[in-house]
Amino acid sequence: MKHFKRTALASVINLALLGIPDAQAADSQALERRIHELESRLSKMDQLEARLEKLDKAELLAVKNETATVSPEVAKLKTKVNTLERKLEVQDEVTTGALKKLPIFDAGDNGFRITSADKKNQLRIGATIQTDYRNFLGNTAAWNPSTSVNGPIGPDSIFLRQARIVLEGYILKDIYFKIMPDFAQTSNTANMLPDAYVDFAYATQASLLVGKYKPSIGLERLQGDANTAFLERAFPTNLAPNRDMGIQVHGGFGMPGYKAETAPGPIDNKNAFTYQVGITDGTGDSGNPYGNGAQTSSSTGFATANNKEFDGRIFALPFQHSGYDWLEGFGIGLAGSFSSPDNLVINAQRTPLGQSQFIDYTQLNSTTQTGTRVITANGSSNRIYPQAYWYKGPFGVMGEYVASTQTLSAAGTGTSKVNNITQTNTAAQAQVSYVITGEDNTFEGVKPIRNFDPFKGSWGALQLAARWSELNVDSDTFKMIDPTKSARKATAGTVGANWFLNKNTLIRLDYEYVSFEGGAGTKTGSGGSTTYNIANRPSEQVLSTRFQLAF
Amino acid sequence: MKNNFLNSLLAAVLAVLAANHADAADINLLNVSYDPTREFYKEYNPVFAKYWKAKTGDNVTVNQSHGGGGKQARAVLEGLEADVVTLALAYDVDQLHQKRKLIPENWQSLLPNNSSPYTSTIVFLVRKGNPLGIKDWNDIVKPNVSIVTPNPKTSGGARWNFLAAWGYALKHNNNDEAAAKVFVTQLFKNAAVLDTGARGATTSFVEREIGDVLITWENEAYLVLREFGADKYEIITPSLSILAEPPVAVVEDVARKHGTTEVATEYLKYLYSKEGQDLIGKHFYRPTDPEISAKYAKQFKSLQLIKIDQFGGWNEAQKKFFADDGVFDEIYAPGK
Repeated sequence: MKHFKRTALASVINLALLGIPDAQAADSQALERRIHELESRLSKMDQLEARLEKLDKAELLAVKNETATVSPEVAKLKTKVNTLERKLEVQDEVTTGALKKLPIFDAGDNGFRITSADKKNQLRIGATIQTDYRNFLGNTAAWNPSTSVNGPIGPDSIFLRQARIVLEGYILKDIYFKIMPDFAQTSNTANMLPDAYVDFAYATQASLLVGKYKPSIGLERLQGDANTAFLERAFPTNLAPNRDMGIQVHGGFGMPGYKAETAPGPIDNKNAFTYQVGITDGTGDSGNPYGNGAQTSSSTGFATANNKEFDGRIFALPFQHSGYDWLEGFGIGLAGSFSSPDNLVINAQRTPLGQSQFIDYTQLNSTTQTGTRVITANGSSNRIYPQAYWYKGPFGVMGEYVASTQTLSAAGTGTSKVNNITQTNTAAQAQVSYVITGEDNTFEGVKPIRNFDPFKGSWGALQLAARWSELNVDSDTFKMIDPTKSARKATAGTVGANWFLNKNTLIRLDYEYVSFEGGAGTKTGSGGSTTYNIANRPSEQVLSTRFQLAF
Repeated sequence: MKNNFLNSLLAAVLAVLAANHADAADINLLNVSYDPTREFYKEYNPVFAKYWKAKTGDNVTVNQSHGGGGKQARAVLEGLEADVVTLALAYDVDQLHQKRKLIPENWQSLLPNNSSPYTSTIVFLVRKGNPLGIKDWNDIVKPNVSIVTPNPKTSGGARWNFLAAWGYALKHNNNDEAAAKVFVTQLFKNAAVLDTGARGATTSFVEREIGDVLITWENEAYLVLREFGADKYEIITPSLSILAEPPVAVVEDVARKHGTTEVATEYLKYLYSKEGQDLIGKHFYRPTDPEISAKYAKQFKSLQLIKIDQFGGWNEAQKKFFADDGVFDEIYAPGK
């Protein structure tokens, strides 16, 4: 650097000298002096520059040394800060680890859930509350079966149809459970605990369900209470048990190339091919363990007979994942049962919406039965239930048929001219529904795209539905029961509207018209010489509404 | 024509079957291990994969999970699906049988040397120049000496540390347990921070510059010298320490479920091979193969090593010292 400066300065001076004419040579001595002076000054500058550089280095070193020499207090504080920081980090690590082990609480429209940190255990708390208003239209003309005269069969009433708490979940990932008490059922013979079961779902192909559950027979029965298209289920449902105690093996299979999903409980609506095979105590038509007509004691809950009922069901969604979009929601199946009940008390049959009794096995035909005779199911019994549904977009149809054959016996004090008959009752239903607001219609109900919020212009979802349903009673039945107190045929037409305010809240309105064949009239004489003048029971019209919350 | 078609179809089917049969399987293993084995298994896994590929044609990928040994064992007990565990101490492995029957009762007899393919011991790491003149255990219990060690509740290595200190105290106090208790109380009073694992403790000492002494695995101490420079730290080998025998085991219940029992077993057996043992020595663990051990003997200083048997085995040691309300809970109160 120094050399460069000196060379540059000398060059400038030389150039200056070259430009001086001879005439001015006299001044050359003066110039030379100046050059010497300049060279001398340059030399001094070089020396000064060198001294400055030395000074710079020394100062830098001094500053550096000053930085490196930290006072012991500062060093101590630094260590303390580092230690505290590290302790906090370790504490964070420990806390995070502990938090990861804490269960996860989740509250939403699926209820309240507590899930273990490893997700292997879960408890879900849900509830269903249904408050109904049932109004019998034209009450004065309606038929009162208890008095066999025209009169109100109501009364019109507001009542709690269901008040259920649902406790369900799984333990160790594969062991599912459900406990569902119903507080709307108040009498001691009512079905106060509809579901209480454990399902060992180790493999999707074969799970073991044990406890109290819906036997897998009728299609509409297996549809969730909150998901049906109508307030009450149709006639075929009443020819199979409502709940029963037993053991069921069930499983599901996916379409080739698709993995089956776990579907705990007695209904599997996820997999393409499903089956259920069960053995139960046998509770008869519309029967429940512990209560009305069950082959179990209402006081102890134990079976009152050794005989058991066997049931089975296969169901397929044959076009699942087929690519035929319009057929993907088509399902078809067949269910059935057989048993040999031992003096099983038979439940009365009731109209769907009005729930009024129109077949009464306690009202006997006095031409054949005298004294205090009791008609029971006693002997071979079997049911067969072909069933299908099809859902596509907002549209849905569902239908099922049942032929139920059972042997009826008369027992008790008195005499019977007809002691046994074989009764084959049949029932069918077909229903169609459409969600006019465009949501998907499914077996699991309707989920509104937009929840009810009128100030924002959203009104939820609206589904309209219509159903035809019919029950035919075997004519031999009337050899044992009074033909003026029990109808031989009932046909129900139902229309309904379901307004889904949101996923959990639903307002329903159903109207049903039921016509009967037989079931009314008069009798003359008594005992074996009784003459029955059979008339058709007056039709029944019912308007019913429901406000339902289910989560 | 029909015959030709059938022959072609048959040939095609056979070709597809043969091709499928010839396909190499892709196998994944999970090795759940303790903190300081990261670097060793990182190098060992591809070596084994190469060996397995040559032997069977299958591709094996070994995934690693590391943390405090006790924590890692609990993770496996709580469902972490490890095909193999390579933990810091036999007690943690044994819990996999005691609590969930994930491994057979006789797991320790299924591989040589009680299923410990390598051993190690506990040493001190100090800052260069050893400013406090640390030489042995009695130096690090002195007031104003700040030590770093992991927490025995979560770290297998820390439990070895504790027992080594306890063993030293017994030796120098005529086997007086009360004196040993006073000794370890003072030791943990000097603990600046209790990390959850050995690697965390190294981080505290090296990166955060906390403490005067790090009590750690011998292999971890050598790793620090290699990674951070021998000009910054020194290893101090105490007069007495403990023979740490980190065990390995196939988690048979999980391996059976994964269909990996054979490869998992071979993965562990290969640790005993010459190649495996050489890597072990290279990573500053003490090889169990006499020939390889001799090769690496120079890198380890000799010292008196006590064995876990002196404490009645790991079950007894765990119960007495580290279980809830054990000696450690008695002598150590956080924040005091």
